[in-house]
Amino acid sequence: MSNYIPTIGVEVHCELKTNTKIFSNSVNGYGQMANSLTNVIDLGYPGTLPTLNKEVINLAIKAALILNCKIRPKMHFDRKNYFYPDNPKNYQITQAETPIGYDGYVEIDIDGKKKKIEIEEMHIEEDTCKSTHRGTKTLLDFNRAGVPLIEIVTKPCMESGEEAKLYLEKLKELLFYSDVSDCKMEEGSMRADANVSIRKNISDPYGTKAEIKNIGSISNVKLSIEKEIERQAKLYDNGEIFLPQTRRFDDKLNDTVLMRVKETGNDYRYFPEPDIPYVYITEKQIAEVRKTIPMLPDERKEKYQSLGISEVNAKKLVQNRSLSDYLNEFLDEKIDFKTASNLLLGDISGYLNKNEQEIINTHLTKEKFIELTNNISDGTLTSKNIKEILDTVMESDKNIKEIIKETGIQNITDSSAITEMIKKIIKENPCSVADYKAGKDRAIKYLMGQIMKESKGSLNPKMAMDILLEELNK
Amino acid sequence: MLDKSIQEIHEALKNKMIKPIDLVEEAFDRIEKNKELNAYITLNKEEAIKRAKELENKEVGNNLLFGLPIAVKDNIITKNLKTTCASHILENFIPIYNATVIEKINDNDMIIIGKTNMDEFAMGSSSRTSYFGAPKNPWNKEKISGGSSGGSATTIAAKDVLFALGTDTGGSIRQPASYTGIVGMKPTYGRVSRYGLVAFASSLDQIGPMTRNVYENALLLNIITGADEKDLTSADKESEDFTRLIGKDIKGMKIALPNYFMSDIVTKEIRTEVEKAKKILEENGATVDYIDMKYLDKVVILYQIISMGEASSNLARFDGIRYGYSIENPKNIEDLYLETRKNGFGKEVKRRIMVGSYLLSGENAKIYYNKALSIRDDIKKEFDKVFKNYDLIIGPTTTTTAYDLTDSMDDPSKSFMDDVLVIPVNMAGLPGLSLPIGFGKNHMPIGLHIIGNSFDESTIYQLASFLEKQVNLDLDPRKDDKNV
Repeated sequence: MSNYIPTIGVEVHCELKTNTKIFSNSVNGYGQMANSLTNVIDLGYPGTLPTLNKEVINLAIKAALILNCKIRPKMHFDRKNYFYPDNPKNYQITQAETPIGYDGYVEIDIDGKKKKIEIEEMHIEEDTCKSTHRGTKTLLDFNRAGVPLIEIVTKPCMESGEEAKLYLEKLKELLFYSDVSDCKMEEGSMRADANVSIRKNISDPYGTKAEIKNIGSISNVKLSIEKEIERQAKLYDNGEIFLPQTRRFDDKLNDTVLMRVKETGNDYRYFPEPDIPYVYITEKQIAEVRKTIPMLPDERKEKYQSLGISEVNAKKLVQNRSLSDYLNEFLDEKIDFKTASNLLLGDISGYLNKNEQEIINTHLTKEKFIELTNNISDGTLTSKNIKEILDTVMESDKNIKEIIKETGIQNITDSSAITEMIKKIIKENPCSVADYKAGKDRAIKYLMGQIMKESKGSLNPKMAMDILLEELNK
Repeated sequence: MLDKSIQEIHEALKNKMIKPIDLVEEAFDRIEKNKELNAYITLNKEEAIKRAKELENKEVGNNLLFGLPIAVKDNIITKNLKTTCASHILENFIPIYNATVIEKINDNDMIIIGKTNMDEFAMGSSSRTSYFGAPKNPWNKEKISGGSSGGSATTIAAKDVLFALGTDTGGSIRQPASYTGIVGMKPTYGRVSRYGLVAFASSLDQIGPMTRNVYENALLLNIITGADEKDLTSADKESEDFTRLIGKDIKGMKIALPNYFMSDIVTKEIRTEVEKAKKILEENGATVDYIDMKYLDKVVILYQIISMGEASSNLARFDGIRYGYSIENPKNIEDLYLETRKNGFGKEVKRRIMVGSYLLSGENAKIYYNKALSIRDDIKKEFDKVFKNYDLIIGPTTTTTAYDLTDSMDDPSKSFMDDVLVIPVNMAGLPGLSLPIGFGKNHMPIGLHIIGNSFDESTIYQLASFLEKQVNLDLDPRKDDKNV
């Protein structure tokens, strides 16, 4: 197979996390009984008119800001006319001429370098209803009809499936963190289409384009793009040509499948929606929305690392937004953040997973968390202690001091007692001591293990280690 | 009783001399007698009687409209009452919701008597595109009542009821009002909520009152206006009393009469009546100046582009899937669409959908629709210019009096040309009213068109009621020899 340069553009539809639909006051919800979240407006009954949900405009402004887009101060909606059963009015209200956001970008890290994925435009539109095909019949669920969407369209600026994957991961993280969307691809609240073409030289015009529609997961986006590049390359290698077409990714075949060859330019008969007047967006409104944007993942990671949290832990925290949000409450406190992050990602995460709970729903108050962290870093509590008391910490209103008292934890914090014990261990293990002196680090680990065993885990390992080294080096 | 003045009826209700049911029964008797006029598509008999009885337990108060029957054009959505748009495709459509104007009518204790005949989806100017056959003109049953609000005009002219609602996209209230000798007002675009008006051309459609006289017209407008959160194009205007200038002197009023409106596109007998009205106004201290206005002769073509373009999209929802007529056993989805729409819509509606689709197709949207929208702004500016110097604009409402029901319908542009004098008002979003000012040959009514500045309906009513008093016509077709 010869070498080709792929050109990839991605279109993403995201459902906005609003309480109600975009053009009616029906509830915007997922997983409810079919057609229970509809009214005459969503169903396109005669004489009904759209209203405009202000929440949608604000969330779209938020998304535009996060995606570094310019925001249009005056915009309107357009009608996209086409007949399809999932389209109740047989026109979709969208923004063709004046998308709310344009000329933005998202930054990704690829091969250790930063790359800006350019965003052509971002517009608001309504979702269609959901159709389920049963044999020769099609069932329609209008709960989704009129759910607000933003469509984010990149420039044809990506060159690999990996780039597209990284872009989507970043996009998802950003939109999820800012509460713009749930971004659940499996529930359809985030959907991606990829446009793929290849060409021989950068100076050549773009090759024939194939659009892969409605890909179900980010990993499949990468895979389907790679498969599509391969397919096109084989065709070109064999001297074959093909027409612009729409394809889909088939999970089972693990390849893209032809849906239809594109007809000469779809005619959607766009025209300005006469039922919705111009929408004006003021600088003031943009400023208000800007205030609602929380600290975003990249900024969080940076902040965490600056507080002494390891890169791995910083990444893990950002992946678990509720823990990250929880930790953000303490950023101004003087605590040992390394310990705090270990605690959150270790025992606390374990507890939450086991009990299927969110951290904010537990009894782990800010005060208790700080107390707990401090007790670990000053050696008052060992990791064994934490395991013993964690359930009580998470489930009762008692403070840590009370819990320690009740549980009867008495750790050996008297250094002379510890020294006595360590001296005893050294005496009993002359071989290890000799190994240590011969430079074998393994010996230390063994000796520490013996010490912890002797103390039944009730002493602070750091303290024990310090004393052990002191004794050995005497 | 229904021939008495609104005040007399109100007093009788207040003094318990009569009950709302008496008015309702009288109205139904008259409608029955005038059945031949074909003014109604659906009568609301049972519900109207029930409502009338309910109102017996309610205080009449000072609401002049209390207990009065009203006819509603059949493109305005009425809960639990068939709303057909005079189309086969909605022949059995019973809505589960109300238009905002219907809510207002109910809140004001008026009683809906029935749904009136019209051109199918309001597309036409003679009501002959109705799936249910055309209504007849009470002044001469061989003649059209005009359209598209032909049924509402007919029932008012025939004195079945005092009040009716019509809708006006390109003259559909004013033109039939002129043909039948009644008062019809198209309010400023945005004055009345369009929620529940089945859209023909969304940027032009407006609901308005049709009545036997000016005062009652203003009374009905009083209760149907107001900002509506369900209609983003409804104007945020304080409610006002549109009768407040009625009876006021017109001395010093400045009125414009565009030359185009008095050109030879209008029959001589109509121009003569307008000249007579002009003279009356001048004799009473108003000035009436002939003026030139740009675009008036170009308006029809622009109107066609905008209205048909919007209509093609608005009527796309009638696809046989969720409501309305649907063919049996379609072969596939395409078949369902094609056959349902082929059988469900009449010829004129299909013609407009096709032309409208073409006009929005590909590059055409820019060449035609967007261009028409931008010229439309210029038309509005042209009117604004006139209203800097004048209080009102007048002219004839129609170019001829009502023509024969049997006249050819083959020329599709004829129905638009019928409305050449009234369409500019829709394009500019302005209020306009048609007032009977005389009769032509064979005693067919002639109307004067009075155009006001945006949201200045009150001044229109002031002038209209003044002229009404001066010309003092006998507008009862029942007294007309031929119709007894």
